[in-house]
Amino acid sequence: MSYARKLFAASAVLSLCIAAPAFAKIETGSTVSDMTVTDSNGAVHNLSDFAGKKLILEWTNADCPYVKKHYTTDNMQKTQRLATADGDTVWLSIISSAPGKQGFVDGAKANQLTEIRAAAPTAVILDSEGTAGRAFAAKTTPHMFILDESQTLVYQGAIDDNRSANPADVAGAKNYVLATLEDLEAGRTVVDAETSPYGCSVKYGL
Amino acid sequence: MRKSALILLIAFMSWLIVAGAAFARQSAPLDTGKVVASLVSSHDSIAPGGTFHIALRTQLDEHWHTYWKNPGDSGEPVHIEWSLPEGISPGPIIWPLPKPVPTGPIINYGFEGAPLFTTAFTVSETAKLGDVITLTADFYYLVCYDVCIPESGQLNLPISIGPSSIDDDWNAQINEALSASPKTGAVKGGVENKDGALTLSFTNLPEGDFSKAYFFPFDQGVLGHSEPQRITLADQGLKLETKADFLWEKDVPKSLGGVLTYEKEGVYSGTEVTMLVGEVLSIGAPAVAAKPLAKVSGASLFTAIIGALVGGLILNLMPCVFPVISIKALSIAKSAHGERAAIKREAWFYTSGVIAMFLLLTLILLSLKAGGSEIGWGFQLQSPKVVAGLALLLFVIGLNLLGAFEFGSGLQNTGASLTQKSGAAGSFFTGALAVVVATPCTAPMMAGAVGYALAAPALITLAVFMALAIGFALPFLLIAYVPSLLCKLPKPGLWMARFKEILAFPMFAAAIWLVWVLSLQAGEHGVLVILCAMLAASLAIWLFKLSGGLSRTLGVLAVIAALALPLTLSANTNASADAAAKLDAMVWSQARVDELLAQGRPVFVDFTAAWCVTCKINEKTVLYKAKTQKLFEDTNTAFLVADWTNKDDVIAAELAKYGRAGVPLYLVYSPNFQEFVRPAVLPQILTYNVIIEALAGS
Repeated sequence: MSYARKLFAASAVLSLCIAAPAFAKIETGSTVSDMTVTDSNGAVHNLSDFAGKKLILEWTNADCPYVKKHYTTDNMQKTQRLATADGDTVWLSIISSAPGKQGFVDGAKANQLTEIRAAAPTAVILDSEGTAGRAFAAKTTPHMFILDESQTLVYQGAIDDNRSANPADVAGAKNYVLATLEDLEAGRTVVDAETSPYGCSVKYGL
Repeated sequence: MRKSALILLIAFMSWLIVAGAAFARQSAPLDTGKVVASLVSSHDSIAPGGTFHIALRTQLDEHWHTYWKNPGDSGEPVHIEWSLPEGISPGPIIWPLPKPVPTGPIINYGFEGAPLFTTAFTVSETAKLGDVITLTADFYYLVCYDVCIPESGQLNLPISIGPSSIDDDWNAQINEALSASPKTGAVKGGVENKDGALTLSFTNLPEGDFSKAYFFPFDQGVLGHSEPQRITLADQGLKLETKADFLWEKDVPKSLGGVLTYEKEGVYSGTEVTMLVGEVLSIGAPAVAAKPLAKVSGASLFTAIIGALVGGLILNLMPCVFPVISIKALSIAKSAHGERAAIKREAWFYTSGVIAMFLLLTLILLSLKAGGSEIGWGFQLQSPKVVAGLALLLFVIGLNLLGAFEFGSGLQNTGASLTQKSGAAGSFFTGALAVVVATPCTAPMMAGAVGYALAAPALITLAVFMALAIGFALPFLLIAYVPSLLCKLPKPGLWMARFKEILAFPMFAAAIWLVWVLSLQAGEHGVLVILCAMLAASLAIWLFKLSGGLSRTLGVLAVIAALALPLTLSANTNASADAAAKLDAMVWSQARVDELLAQGRPVFVDFTAAWCVTCKINEKTVLYKAKTQKLFEDTNTAFLVADWTNKDDVIAAELAKYGRAGVPLYLVYSPNFQEFVRPAVLPQILTYNVIIEALAGS
């Protein structure tokens, strides 16, 4: 590990430390790593495990109308399949709903949802304490975050540019996740690196 | 009985049907789930070329909300699409005033209750009289409480073309909604982004209370909706500091719009503002409490004057003042059995002494304020020189009361001798001295009046301080002018000598307290200096008692030493920080408050000073009690101390934000966003229950 990389890693940890307690967003362009999460099968991951791959985080809540819009139209599943097709991209669907709040599920229910909806995330993360959600300042479902191979945050915001809950609006909307992946593929700077997320509020506990 | 009730019911229902058909310009209500929606019109019929308003009225279930055109962190705006016949054109939605709606850490901008979304329509000149046109609204809104539900529907409203006829009920409601909706006013705005720190500045503000001002941007990405907006009020405007959002990383427009909200006569109000990007407007000097300044009305001036009068009266009972006054009362009692005119004259000279001293202090205060210093009442005691001088004075008065010395001709001008002298000069100086020793004991009920006075124009400041002076002198004037009171004063006798000696001890006690204050201001060096000055003073007294030229010369030298020593003192700022550390509390700063709030902890701030008696009483009887400290621990509340013992502009400015000119001030900040980090202000006399309630509210 070069000195620059070390410095980078240190600043990443630092940025998390600052971001974690507050509800302040992580600046686009900063590095994110060293966050431990648990998936629906009980497996523990650290975000740094995915260094070298692209990482997509999708905040979700199966009962939110905006999430339903993207799942009933197969839009989210299609995006998941397209994004992870290259084998070098990891997709984590994260549920930050607190127990008793809308969208809260246990591991079995989460897996069942994935099966019923034919969803294709790499894993579903259960974050009922809202630790990961607050660290990223995830505000809505859906709310999308994309990290490149060096774990730099290159996109945060909405899934697409049609800010509605109407499934009919999926067609013709610009999908920001696919656009960001295209920019990364082509080695371009990401054009829309940050957009306003839209949807239901994330159902954090107090 | 039953029959008549039935008849009444039928009559009422048929009236409803007839009334509905005949008057109300309202579509049939549509229940979309959590909302009952209807269209209402300002007019029953409209003339060609005329303009009228139709509103989508939404009656929301309790706790549920819909969203403003910028919905904030999540949500979606109310949406209306009109289908209209030829010859009629709609305007944009005239939005009601939004409110921040917090959900956990997320802040949305929206509406509760029964908001009206109004649109203005213009009918073409060529519309045909007698026609009935139908307006159709397809509407959609996201309605949320703990969960969100998208609801939508379609409503129709027919309007006839004919002589213009207003619908009284709905026209009034629509007009009310229109007048409450924010409009472009005279307010000028600027916004500057410096590395993510956003400064919004506003000038030409309308009249109102901006102490809870909040800015709602029209666009997403301008500012972090869930970030607090920190307010600085100034005499020509206000400044809001918050965090920038992503919009600033792209091409930023030349101007940005939004709504600035405030309170106008207690009513939540707002005005539309266009901010010039890259500009920071000059908002003038930080207002010493813009809030009371905006309310310089007759009523509050009257309250302040009465408060000052009563406060001045109460000052007489303060432990450091009482002995001085008692001596004067005794000397009056002596002459009480003498000539009435002389008593009246003495009372007036005493009063002029009080007024002169207050006048002097007020003028110093005003000139310092005009010079731009952040200053408040009690400022005299922020100088260790003054504190040391006062301690010395009280010590010497104590010695004199004990009979350690009688004044010789050489010490004629020392205050204590004069207080005992009958006659004009004696009374005048007693009054002046009483004011000097009274200043540390600002009575709690005076705080509001003094705070008000300092924020107000100079003339009002003067008026309030004069009321304070008159209140202070009032007991003597009463004695002089109410003969029955005079008769109640005890007859002079041997007991007076004993009483005089007893009064020496409160003097020493007050001196000890001032030495302690000094130890916080100037550290152990200060204590050494003041004790040496006291030694020099007592040496001088002894030397003057001896006869002979040498002892007289040495006596003068000792007096000079006693007077010069206090002047060598200067404030040692570390001393007060050490004091705070000793009390296991953190030193206050706004940054510290923000940091702790970010950690999700409630914050209690104690604005205090060593010379503030009320502060010390609150600390001893409530704040530093184990029970209270445990309460702070249990609620994970951070306890911060802002120590104003020495002059501190930052603390003075913070006090001014809450309309205060002095300490104590107690603030409780909630880590939740319910109050937008506007802290609760606790009363100046604390109790355990007050703190419990304040923390429960957080």
